[in-house]
Amino acid sequence: MSEQNDRNDQPENRLRRELPAEVPVPAAGPAAEEQPQQPLTGRQRLVKGLWPPRFTRAQLIVALLLFGLGFGLAVQVASNSDTDSALRGARQEDLVRILDELDSRTQRLEDEKQGLEKQRSELQTSSDQAAEARKQTAEKERQLGILAGTVAAQGPGITMTIEDTKGTVEADMLLDAIQELRAAGAEAIQVNGVRVVAGTYFTDSGKSVSVDGNKINAPYRFKVIGKPQDLEPALNIPGGVVQTLEKEQATVNVERSDKIVVDALRQAKRPDYARSSSR
Amino acid sequence: MIAVLGLVVGVVAGLLVRPEVPAVVEPYLPIAVVAALDAVFGGLRAMLDGIFDDKVFVVSFLSNVVVAALIVFLGDKLGVGAQLSTGVVVVLGIRIFSNAAAIRRHVFRA
Repeated sequence: MSEQNDRNDQPENRLRRELPAEVPVPAAGPAAEEQPQQPLTGRQRLVKGLWPPRFTRAQLIVALLLFGLGFGLAVQVASNSDTDSALRGARQEDLVRILDELDSRTQRLEDEKQGLEKQRSELQTSSDQAAEARKQTAEKERQLGILAGTVAAQGPGITMTIEDTKGTVEADMLLDAIQELRAAGAEAIQVNGVRVVAGTYFTDSGKSVSVDGNKINAPYRFKVIGKPQDLEPALNIPGGVVQTLEKEQATVNVERSDKIVVDALRQAKRPDYARSSSR
Repeated sequence: MIAVLGLVVGVVAGLLVRPEVPAVVEPYLPIAVVAALDAVFGGLRAMLDGIFDDKVFVVSFLSNVVVAALIVFLGDKLGVGAQLSTGVVVVLGIRIFSNAAAIRRHVFRA
């Protein structure tokens, strides 16, 4: 286009107007025969320019420039069509905006993450607490089970064997023995395979004795868990259980032991009317 | 013919080599390419008019590229780079279209 402007007949372009005028003079030299005959049309000039190829300085310079143009064009197109560099052609303010958006999104996600982590730790704490409560409940159940006779128990204690060859031992004597043992701190007692619990009762049945309706025969073997140093003296005190029984011609044998196993069990009975009032 | 070959070779080389565009040149390359295209169309038209001059072509080609890059640079510095490069592209596009119209009249006589 600038070539066109150079041809304008503007007064201030007088000097430059002369410059192109110099060009046709050498150009007219070789083409002197053709131009007077008839001026070439644009199409003829195009064809003539394309073929045959001429290695003139002008052609080479133009080729060099066009090489640069083609190179730049291809490079730009290639770099623009790279899928991974969508941000490449973006302007600075666009990049700043995108960065801001990313920042706020990061902030949002961070907040969400913190909330979720808090929730998780809360859940974990509560599940820990629940596990702790379960553990305590199980522990309490075991303790109460020993009292209620629903679980087996073992520990230090004594074994008391009452040989009753004459059949003179009666239910109230055994009950006295139980009371004495309880008073001395017995924690778990069984008599001939029957667990003694809070509601245990003794009845006479002929020559022998029934515990909770189960008939037991002599010899009566008491397995008692408790502090042996307390239990044995409690039985042997003057006028106590042992002396009373021996007065009735029964022989009583008390042995301390480090390991007494009370393994007679009771079924846990659900009370019909009484309900726990503790919450 | 040599000139057309140069263009073709340039495109092929650009596609094959795929050089990383330096960050400094990056904003100016598209505008420079459009400006160079404008110069090429002007040169083609001048050739068809029979007034083609290689010196004028070289000067107009280079000055177009430099001025276009300069305008973009100035626009970026002034904070109106996007608008200014749009303006440059519009102006160059108009010139390309008018040159293309002249070329078309020569080649197709219509």
